[in-house]
Amino acid sequence: MDIFIPALIVAVIGLVLGALLGMASKKFYVKVDERVEQVRAYCAGAGCGACGYASCDAFAEAVVKGEAPVNGCRPGGNEAAKAIAEVMGVNAEKTNPIVARVICQGSNATAKERYNYNGIPSCRVAAGIAGGPKQCRFSCIGLGDCMAKCAFGAIHMENNLCVIDEDKCTGCGACVEECPRNVIRLLPKEQSVYVHCRNTDKARMARDVCMTACIACARCKKACQYDAITVENGVATIDPEKCTRCGECAKVCPCKCIVPPEVVA
Amino acid sequence: MMGMHLGAPSTPCVQKGDKVKLGQVIGTPEGFLGLPVHASIAGEVIDVGPVQGLGATPGIGVTIKNDYSDEWVEGLEPLGNVETCPKEKIVPAIKNAGICGMGGASFPTHVKFAVKEGQYCDTIILNGAECETHLTADHRLMLENSVRIVDGLRAAMRALDVKKGIIAIEDNKPDAIEAMRKAANGRDGVEVRPLKTKYPQGGEKQLIQVVTGREVPTKKLPLDVHVIVLNVGTAAAIADAVIDGKPLISRITTVTGHVNNPSNFRIRIGTIAEDIIGECGGYSEKPGKIVFGGAMTGMPAPSDLIPLAKANNGVVVYNEKEALNLEESPCIRCGRCVEACPIGLNPYKLKYLCDADDLKAAAEADIMDCVVCGSCSYICPAHRFLTPAFKNMKDKITAEARKKRG
Repeated sequence: MDIFIPALIVAVIGLVLGALLGMASKKFYVKVDERVEQVRAYCAGAGCGACGYASCDAFAEAVVKGEAPVNGCRPGGNEAAKAIAEVMGVNAEKTNPIVARVICQGSNATAKERYNYNGIPSCRVAAGIAGGPKQCRFSCIGLGDCMAKCAFGAIHMENNLCVIDEDKCTGCGACVEECPRNVIRLLPKEQSVYVHCRNTDKARMARDVCMTACIACARCKKACQYDAITVENGVATIDPEKCTRCGECAKVCPCKCIVPPEVVA
Repeated sequence: MMGMHLGAPSTPCVQKGDKVKLGQVIGTPEGFLGLPVHASIAGEVIDVGPVQGLGATPGIGVTIKNDYSDEWVEGLEPLGNVETCPKEKIVPAIKNAGICGMGGASFPTHVKFAVKEGQYCDTIILNGAECETHLTADHRLMLENSVRIVDGLRAAMRALDVKKGIIAIEDNKPDAIEAMRKAANGRDGVEVRPLKTKYPQGGEKQLIQVVTGREVPTKKLPLDVHVIVLNVGTAAAIADAVIDGKPLISRITTVTGHVNNPSNFRIRIGTIAEDIIGECGGYSEKPGKIVFGGAMTGMPAPSDLIPLAKANNGVVVYNEKEALNLEESPCIRCGRCVEACPIGLNPYKLKYLCDADDLKAAAEADIMDCVVCGSCSYICPAHRFLTPAFKNMKDKITAEARKKRG
């Protein structure tokens, strides 16, 4: 029976403190706008920072205050925007989904190697050593710095080249920040025809280091009926506004750095 | 190469087809840390364009076809005897000669002499420790050019009115200590200090602590403890600049490892590594890796077609077996890296922070004090890639800070 008294004392202390806590929570209750919690629930919750706020909670608060747009959560996409708009009682403008795309096709098979890198697996480090393991100074290094940053598992490496799964990619842009060579860009998902190279060197130099480098031959420009292609600084660019994704440019590209839309899709 | 020193690369001021003479300025300095670049051979400029060196991006290089005349450019301004020449002309002469630290870090020497208000310097230390393994370039220089080194030290001391100059040499080079003592005999305030042989004693802050007993606090510079450290090679270059008015166009470099006849050479700046390896009788085995600088702190080169810069004190050739990287395995917490670290950091702990990519925590754990000497990586029985991870982390933190400053 010796155990009975201490148990009773503890139970009484528990009850008293519990009652105190209960009263305190009633008395000092801070009213939280319930919409914040609702908005927060509809966010993708990746903590990626694509909305421009430090956390999903901060974004939710900003939405309720009217500082952030209801369609600000990029990973959440149109579904989240719609749900958040409903909570806020406004209409969400439909956003064009954005995905990250690799502006390089220089895998082990096509890009020439400068040296055999066997240091720590980091693109950043490799890029700093004598111009990187691949001869092209614009190339994807392929050691996976972006892969480590991706919160959605959308990136993997194939033949020392970064490959992004567009279904998983939410366009948060974490990989774009991380890439030491800036080979990843955020592009509208519907713009499936783009130039897969950013080598601005002269044609011969570019061709010397990679079989799939843009040599600025301007054949794509001639083939384009919609005047969507410009060739400047030794590299071609496609204007997404004018491009109809007909794929004519991809047919004539001698270096295969424009990929036909059906292959991408 | 135009970007041989720390700071903004110089701008080439010659064109294809120009005739240049030995010592002619071919690159003009840019910015506060800028230095001029001089032609190291006489002849015709055959190309001005991008050259891939050891850095991340190609730099601008001037290729000169040697006509073997070795004719010096006119208008050199020798100041004469280091003891009697006008003091205020010494530092400009150092700058115009394009001298940067020749021990490896290539920091512009004239900037070291820029003593700010409230600061003063009471000791100049000449670094003849050469603690880096494999290299003997400074050793040879001290044996063969000992008087020039002391002249350079005296010039530096006079430029800043410093009373004390210490030449620090590790005791594995008794002949160099002897030669330097002989050369320093009878010169004002110059002293030769033998040191115990220990890596990485040749690091600036380590050397100051050993020689003067003063510890350079974190985030401070040697001048904050009233010391300037110069490499012995830099001192010899200062003597050349002051006495003869000659710019820095050559240096002593060790070529060693798997070459047939490892040697020291006085090479012209910009010599292609392949040529000096050929001078050594070529490779004795198939090369697996070529390192510019010493084996511990040097930079790997992608091929032997890279030109040597002002700060390249060595070329070390590894064979394929030595170049093989061992696989990284988990930390076994033996603590050897902690004992080995000359700064007193906890390398094993820092590695976890680097792996977690935690910039803030790593900075709080004083990763910026790491001198990237490689001792922890060398001693680690688990072959953890400690030093490269720290170097990467330091670069990341610096980049982040620069981004914040805008």
